[in-house]
Amino acid sequence: MMLILLTGGSACGKSTYGENLAAQGPKPLYYIAAMQPFDDECLKKIARHRALRKDKGFETVERYTAVDILQLPKTGGTALLECLCNLTANEMYIQPETPVDPVEKVVAGVENLRRQTDTLIVVTNDVGSDDEDYSEETRAYIRYLGEINARVADMADRVYELVAGIPICLKGETV
Amino acid sequence: MMLILGGAASGKRTYLLSLGYGPEDIADGVLDEKKVLYGLEKLVFADPEGAQALLPALLQKEVVVCAEVGSGVIPIRYEQRQAREATGRLCVQLAAQAEKVVRLVAGIPTVIKGE
Repeated sequence: MMLILLTGGSACGKSTYGENLAAQGPKPLYYIAAMQPFDDECLKKIARHRALRKDKGFETVERYTAVDILQLPKTGGTALLECLCNLTANEMYIQPETPVDPVEKVVAGVENLRRQTDTLIVVTNDVGSDDEDYSEETRAYIRYLGEINARVADMADRVYELVAGIPICLKGETV
Repeated sequence: MMLILGGAASGKRTYLLSLGYGPEDIADGVLDEKKVLYGLEKLVFADPEGAQALLPALLQKEVVVCAEVGSGVIPIRYEQRQAREATGRLCVQLAAQAEKVVRLVAGIPTVIKGE
């Protein structure tokens, strides 16, 4: 039961690295997509990610919330969860007018997937390396995701930060 | 080509100067004949859609220095998001072809690719 967490800023190469790592894992390969197709930009991103992982043998599972009760079609393979930043926002704004604390739900989602897979790769984002000039709600999101990242990193066997596509090992052994 | 990365004010220029490059070698945010391009992110932010076209010229440089701009909250403005992503993607491509990649954190250089 290997858990690998990948972090880094926007467009640092996390997805490509995560997909290539997952493709080497035991089959079946599941891609758990948490990004909701809200608008054109999301659709473009989704299309880009689909093109990137085309031919890598993934079965895509679109799951925007409640990953904690997600049942994969088969147990034992490899899953790539992309990404905690979307999942966190989706759980936080499950009722858009009344944001809720998403931390336990998201962490339970990672634990649930980990129980069903041999290798679980989780992608997150570094949203905290920034100034504080945001609304109370945005700062709450930064705190929630920071806590989730720390909890998942604590559970993880390996943690890598991606910098320009280069993995920097923060926990566990370098591959 | 050597790629030097790091956040704003992380010590990139000091490191560059420590390698022996002088002001006459360094082009700030413009693509010209000099050995070093400093501030690739400025070029990309000025024209995110043209970022890809910069790649061949950048690969001819001895050193390219770029600020890491992808961390922090995803910006609300579309143009800003596009510019951040274009910078990140270009750096992934540059790093893949660079002989050496050095990342600065608090003035400390870490070689993350090459010798």
